[in-house]
Amino acid sequence: MNISRRDLFKFAGLSVAAAAVTGCSTTAFDPLPKGSSQGTSSKMLGKHQVVIIGGGFGGLTVAKELKKIDPSFDVAIIEKNDSFMSCPFSNCNLGGIKGVSLSTLTHDYSQAIENNGYGMLTAVVTGIDREKKVVYTSKGGVGYDILVLAPGIDYNYKGQFPTWSDAKIAKAKRVAPAALMPGGEHVALDRMVKNMEDGDVVITVPAGKYRCPPAPFERASMIANYMKTEGFKGKVIILNETAEVAKGAAFKETWKDLYAGIVDHQDNCKIVDVDFDKKEITYVQTVFANKEDTEGVKTTKTLKYGIFNFIPHNMSSPVIEMSGVATTPDGFKKVKMATSPEKPVSFQTATDANVFAVGDVVGHAIPPSGQSAIWSGKECAKEIAHKLHGKSYSVASALPYKSANVCYSMVNGNPEEAIMVNHEFMVQGPVIGSKGSVPKGDEANNKFRSTGLGKATRDWYKGAMRDLFN
Amino acid sequence: MDRRNFLKVVAGATVIAVSPSLIRGNLYAADGMLFSAYEKAQLVDAAGKPIKASALQKEVTYIFNYPYASTPCMLINLPKPTGKDVELTSESGEKYVWKSGVGKERTIVAYVAICTHQMTHPTPNDSFITYVPTAKKTMAYEKSGIIVCSSHLSAFDAGAGAKVLGGAATQPLNAVVLEHAADDTLWAVGILGSDKFQDYFKSFRPELKEFYGGPAEAKKLVSISAKTVKLTEYSKEVIQY
Repeated sequence: MNISRRDLFKFAGLSVAAAAVTGCSTTAFDPLPKGSSQGTSSKMLGKHQVVIIGGGFGGLTVAKELKKIDPSFDVAIIEKNDSFMSCPFSNCNLGGIKGVSLSTLTHDYSQAIENNGYGMLTAVVTGIDREKKVVYTSKGGVGYDILVLAPGIDYNYKGQFPTWSDAKIAKAKRVAPAALMPGGEHVALDRMVKNMEDGDVVITVPAGKYRCPPAPFERASMIANYMKTEGFKGKVIILNETAEVAKGAAFKETWKDLYAGIVDHQDNCKIVDVDFDKKEITYVQTVFANKEDTEGVKTTKTLKYGIFNFIPHNMSSPVIEMSGVATTPDGFKKVKMATSPEKPVSFQTATDANVFAVGDVVGHAIPPSGQSAIWSGKECAKEIAHKLHGKSYSVASALPYKSANVCYSMVNGNPEEAIMVNHEFMVQGPVIGSKGSVPKGDEANNKFRSTGLGKATRDWYKGAMRDLFN
Repeated sequence: MDRRNFLKVVAGATVIAVSPSLIRGNLYAADGMLFSAYEKAQLVDAAGKPIKASALQKEVTYIFNYPYASTPCMLINLPKPTGKDVELTSESGEKYVWKSGVGKERTIVAYVAICTHQMTHPTPNDSFITYVPTAKKTMAYEKSGIIVCSSHLSAFDAGAGAKVLGGAATQPLNAVVLEHAADDTLWAVGILGSDKFQDYFKSFRPELKEFYGGPAEAKKLVSISAKTVKLTEYSKEVIQY
């Protein structure tokens, strides 16, 4: 691929861009003075036509598609990690699915950069000046004409537990990793599961928007599969803050059929506190008598655990706040998207015509999944390319879109079986809406899970990786 | 299909959209159709006997490998005549024309069975891509009688050059240009559309080694004849949603 000198000049190093998540959070060990910047260099590294913050599913897709549409586009990604790790399919590793390991989930960025010809800077974003059109990073400033925000999520421990100290939050991350973001959390949870002994595994499901709604339930199924295969005594207890279960009927059927007495799903459990030394969770469970009952009966309970996969409330990456674009008033802070009579739905932000957003942070009513991010990335790239060519493109012209999101969850290891959800995307007022359906994978036996969907899960992952890295 | 049309070569090369490092010479017909000529190969059955168009079962997916030893293609005898002169658009925006099906009633079509979305394709182990007969249901589209890749539920119009009907694919399946001879035999002569063969060879190296012995064997051009069998014989399991 021909990479322009402009593409090459600046980014000697490779990198990815999930943005300044942990880099901007203080920890018990490296507290920063208030107002200090994290090694922000004031030197300018250069300027690009399109700068993308985040090298995940959405960011990589936008970059690749832009270069595909017009190889002369000057596109650069800023990413804090120097390699890519996939969260989708990662539960198969925890489940002991044959041939799946952490290396299956890990990819270098070199191939994608070489094949597609965009630039990449491995750096932490420390600030964004939309007036000057500069993204500040730990390695220097990067100018842009168009900025794409694809930084993914962060965890909102502080919002959920305002009284917890930074040290306690840091400990929570170490000893009870959430593993919804790529990197060390997955390695830590993998170590804990592989070294487990008899005892209970607890997984929490947060209220509000969070990355990959079926993930905790797929994880529960996969860890249960591992425990069953290895002959461990214990349960996988899901403490769900709400009563919502993505692909609920399909997961519950599977738990009843395969993991009776192992997977224990508990509704409406609000975590009050965790003693990480005693390995004890305190939570309040509300039991509602019926649908009309809005108060319910609350009971405080404690629970001992062997392994704790503590998934706290999610929120958009701090990069979104740094950018200053308008966000929704909820705890997640989704980016408000542009809308107009000509373009009822868009990946352009409502605040700034030169700033776009894709992935988990978008304010559309679509599921936050890898597949959605890929779909969004392609549409966002079309919008940007048209803009750079002085033309107009409306995402609404691609809608309604059948099977825009297809999401598989592996639920059994022997035989390999999975369930799926399939979403159609459509225009829903000022945002892209979605309608999901969970089909019976095995119609002959009237079951949601099937071996065909198990194969499809593997095929989806391989295909998605080809999409991103080839 | 008038083969002479394809041989009016317009000077110039095109960059295949998927990977700009992939520069290949393509033949363009004078009317702008994107077409690559390959070795002419006769479609034969497992015993090596020529396949007769009139003997093809309706709505059954057959597989033959063309233009390379490792690139599977679908052959389908549709229940009704196909459209004619369907204008298609590649993902890089190039316009080209798919003439029509062949055979006595213009019902026989052939397409490369490598999904243009993420290159899912039939293997001896399994296939996620197949023609869905009109009597069967699919999640990918409201109507059957179409080609579906169940890996991500992309749907293609079998009677209109494999135009995308739904799902994540951004361009039609490549069409195999067929000739129907006076003796009712069928011949593959070329590929229509923007192909992903080089990406395919790169992406599936371990698989090609397992099934074909290695990259060199996998990239051998098919000539003289192409063995054609039912998809259910080609793949142990066909997965269709």
